[in-house]
Amino acid sequence: MSENVAVSKVTTQSVEQSGALAKLLVFSIALGVAPLGSYYLSLNYAWNGNATFAAITAVALANVVLVTFIIMSVIEEKHGAGVSAKAQQKPETKKTK
Amino acid sequence: MSLCPPYAPFFGLGGVASAVSLIKTSVGAALGTAKSGIGIAGLGTFKPELIMKSLIPVVMSGIIAVYGLVVSVLIAGGVQPKDYSLYAGFIHLGAGLACGFTGLAAGYAIGYVGDSCVRAYVYESKVFVSMVLILIFAEVLGLYGLIVALIMNSRATEAPACL
Repeated sequence: MSENVAVSKVTTQSVEQSGALAKLLVFSIALGVAPLGSYYLSLNYAWNGNATFAAITAVALANVVLVTFIIMSVIEEKHGAGVSAKAQQKPETKKTK
Repeated sequence: MSLCPPYAPFFGLGGVASAVSLIKTSVGAALGTAKSGIGIAGLGTFKPELIMKSLIPVVMSGIIAVYGLVVSVLIAGGVQPKDYSLYAGFIHLGAGLACGFTGLAAGYAIGYVGDSCVRAYVYESKVFVSMVLILIFAEVLGLYGLIVALIMNSRATEAPACL
């Protein structure tokens, strides 16, 4: 009986983790690609060769990615708390029957 | 003694990547990631649902490495084989040193703060806001080094013409 519960826990955890893993991959790649790409793009097209402004653009974009990650993790924690509370309520109602 | 000796690019490239800026910020980012990763692994065994929020120190350590990368790319765009004065070489070396050492310090701070705050987050959820505030202050140290490196690098083009 406990083995079935353990198996179901592991499968649900792996389903949740695959979504989290995809998000982390996207953020890791964005943290690497966004500053470099914005540096070279803004160097040629936005600032006409002024390298200092292009570097400032790259750093600002990296910080934007960081703030997006913080906001996304806070929102996900609120959603996750709501979902887990609902899931815990259902087996209790079955037991009371 | 000419103003543009042939060994001038050695100092410039030393500032770029192979000696200073990228290496030191990478060491700082690695320290931050490793130390806070230990705390996150400890937190994960008790409360797995808090893991995404507790990954913030790791992302901030990554940004320290991005600062070093940007300064390296910036300086590497200014190093030239000819007409490269020793003045410009020293400026580039100083810019790389500034960014590298501040990145090392910021990564070290992020690591220790991230580790202990993440461990405290298991017991008290109000620690999260103070953790983010302290991490932002630690990160701004690396940003100061980047700003100084940018200002120094903008003076490197003022070098007098070589004979």
